Amino acid sequence: MPERELTVGVGAGGLATADMVLNIGPQHPATHGVLRLRITLDGERIKAAEPIVGYMHRGAEKLFEVRDYRQILVLANRHDWLSAFSSEIGAALIVERMLGMDVPERATWVRTLLAELNRVLNHLMFLGSYPLELGAITPIFYAFREREELQAVMEEVAGGRMHYMFGRIGGLRDDLPMGWTGRVREAIDAVRRRLPDLENMLVGNEILQARTRGVGILDPKTIAAYGVSGPIARASGVDVDLRRDQPYLAYDELFAPGGPGRVVTREAGDCLARLEVLLEQVHVSLELAQACLERIESLGPGPVNVKLPKVLKVPEGADYLATENPLGFNGYYLVSRGDKTPWRLKLRSASFNNVQVLSTLLPGTLLADMVAILGSMFFVVGDVDK
Amino acid sequence: MTTDLPMPRVGAGQAAAPKPMRLVLNWGRRYSLWVFNFGLACCAIEFIAASMARHDFIRLGVIPFAPGPRQADLMVVSGTVTDKMAPAVRRLYDQMPEPKYVISFGACSNSGGPYWDSYCVTKGVDQLIPVDVYVPGCPPRPEALLQGILVLQQQIAQEKLQTKSLRGRLGPYAGRRASAAEVSRPLVAPPEQTT
Amino acid sequence: MTKFLSGLAKGMATTARTMTTHAHTQQYPHVKPELPSRSRGVIALLEENCTSCMLCARECPDWCIYIDSHKETTPPTTEGGRARQHNVLDRFAIDFSLCMYCGICIEVCPFDALFWSPEFEYSTTDIRDLLQEKETLGQWMPTVPAPEPLVPELPQTEAQQLVVDVEPEDDPAAGRTTKRGAGEVPRPGTEEQP
Repeated sequence: MPERELTVGVGAGGLATADMVLNIGPQHPATHGVLRLRITLDGERIKAAEPIVGYMHRGAEKLFEVRDYRQILVLANRHDWLSAFSSEIGAALIVERMLGMDVPERATWVRTLLAELNRVLNHLMFLGSYPLELGAITPIFYAFREREELQAVMEEVAGGRMHYMFGRIGGLRDDLPMGWTGRVREAIDAVRRRLPDLENMLVGNEILQARTRGVGILDPKTIAAYGVSGPIARASGVDVDLRRDQPYLAYDELFAPGGPGRVVTREAGDCLARLEVLLEQVHVSLELAQACLERIESLGPGPVNVKLPKVLKVPEGADYLATENPLGFNGYYLVSRGDKTPWRLKLRSASFNNVQVLSTLLPGTLLADMVAILGSMFFVVGDVDK
Repeated sequence: MTTDLPMPRVGAGQAAAPKPMRLVLNWGRRYSLWVFNFGLACCAIEFIAASMARHDFIRLGVIPFAPGPRQADLMVVSGTVTDKMAPAVRRLYDQMPEPKYVISFGACSNSGGPYWDSYCVTKGVDQLIPVDVYVPGCPPRPEALLQGILVLQQQIAQEKLQTKSLRGRLGPYAGRRASAAEVSRPLVAPPEQTT
Repeated sequence: MTKFLSGLAKGMATTARTMTTHAHTQQYPHVKPELPSRSRGVIALLEENCTSCMLCARECPDWCIYIDSHKETTPPTTEGGRARQHNVLDRFAIDFSLCMYCGICIEVCPFDALFWSPEFEYSTTDIRDLLQEKETLGQWMPTVPAPEPLVPELPQTEAQQLVVDVEPEDDPAAGRTTKRGAGEVPRPGTEEQP
């Protein structure tokens, strides 16, 4: 129990200062999910903050152990519901690597395309919800208009709007529908055409800048200490992106010199920088998606899957693979004992580390800035708790 | 100092109200459902999508601006209810005034869904609170929520708002009052810490 | 002052411009949405094709398919022939309150008895109604969209590779529909329905 000191007085000299413990969440609009923060306040300055996680813990890792590899992929979608496709492809990649399986080239490019579209969908969600938390209602309507546009083409190919479940071990579930690439191109063009609408709301908006500039500055040392990754790390000048540094799927070609891929970084490390990174990454991802489309069209038809044995068993061993999910590194540590289910599949999710940093980031800031900082950490609670 | 916060209830005069008045009352209730979104997981994103311009459930009289459970008529539970979260769901439901309705949105809140065999997931929100409409899907598309709302509105239209029928609908949950002490009690500590 | 508020003005101008455009709201209850044929709404069952082989029930990631069947013996049709045994489906139920809509059951079905239908309007007021028996599942069959054409240039051998699951060792049911990858045969049940 922290010591309480109560000063009662009249006038400016005697403002009451008593430590107050404030609970934010678990059901709080600003946490978009069920994260709980226990904040100790001195006046309106935050003295200590402790993220309390586990309200969304669903034991996915334990469930993986009783499901075969095909079934794992459809469950791997769900821990980070805004990066469904990226998560399922990561799980497929680690299994394929342990099997030593080659994936058809066309499948790899389609996977890359869908992963990038998924990244855009994810970022659009946060570009809409973050201003909402700051009090700007309008941008989320623009963000969701673009999301619907892209979700329509995703649904056309995968059948689902959020959980695509389109990846399979060794490739994809189905080939692309006829004329789909053309419709994706139209959708991408439409989103790029209308993206300035959303940008006009955010870029250069004085109110937004006043709320976010210089607020919640994260330095590279803290980032390294907490294992923060993704757009949040890059906003502080930490130039890591697994798509370039440890390429998987078709990224080695896309991020090669002269390719459309580039890593977006900012130096400021404040909330505004994090938002800017997100916004620019949408542009980069749309360019990458377009490059993928061109490649898929020039590749021509081909297989998108390999024939699997009736019972798929991964050889004994352990392997670790990390992918660059929209929110940061998503790692999969797979231990197999030669069964058709994994012995252990550990997920290293981006949001867990990104949220933990709040305990050092929040102390010293004002309570009024708490929501701005919390929102700019771009987390998904399911990704925190798994 | 505990003040009792009795749950706002339907008055006794309701049962005696003449039919035209009931009709008007139900009509009003049907098209002004102030919704309290219990957004938990993936389905919450589809709930937000349903509230956005593309699907726009305000057209159907669902108003997503309830400042809290105390002013809400409808609770949409969207997402996985975990055992750790379950007391909060129950507590917020208790704070809602009568008449209140619950839509369970998506497989997870219907019965645990993909996580039904998990050690920490509640097997359906209907184990905690009475649910009026179950919307299937994982996650259901926004149109499915709209259809669920239409089903609920039909149900409200046929409702006889009497304490007896209310009790029948709410089952064992009827007549339960949440005291101020209950809604503001601290979280129960895990067993290790209490010893 | 104008420079100071230029960011806000830009946003306001966008709002004003958007105000003049048409709303993209879909009037759902009045206008049904146009859904792509791959849309995963509900699983339809073509009962005649089901041999109750249990593959779907075993492969389902949350085990929400219930199948009961019994064996029946058909007497030999020709003199001195052998009596044949076949499975008769007693119960086929999918619990849609558990289903995660992954489509694995449809993929693994070797006899094309299960199909996706984009239909989504089946919310209920009773959770027990979400456990849909074969009669209800059969009612979804007319809503199953026609099979989409394959990518035309794709050679047939590669087209067959698209299907992941294993070929059945022998086809006990002659005259059943062929596998989806092989192509042109229309789905039974779809053509005679209005």
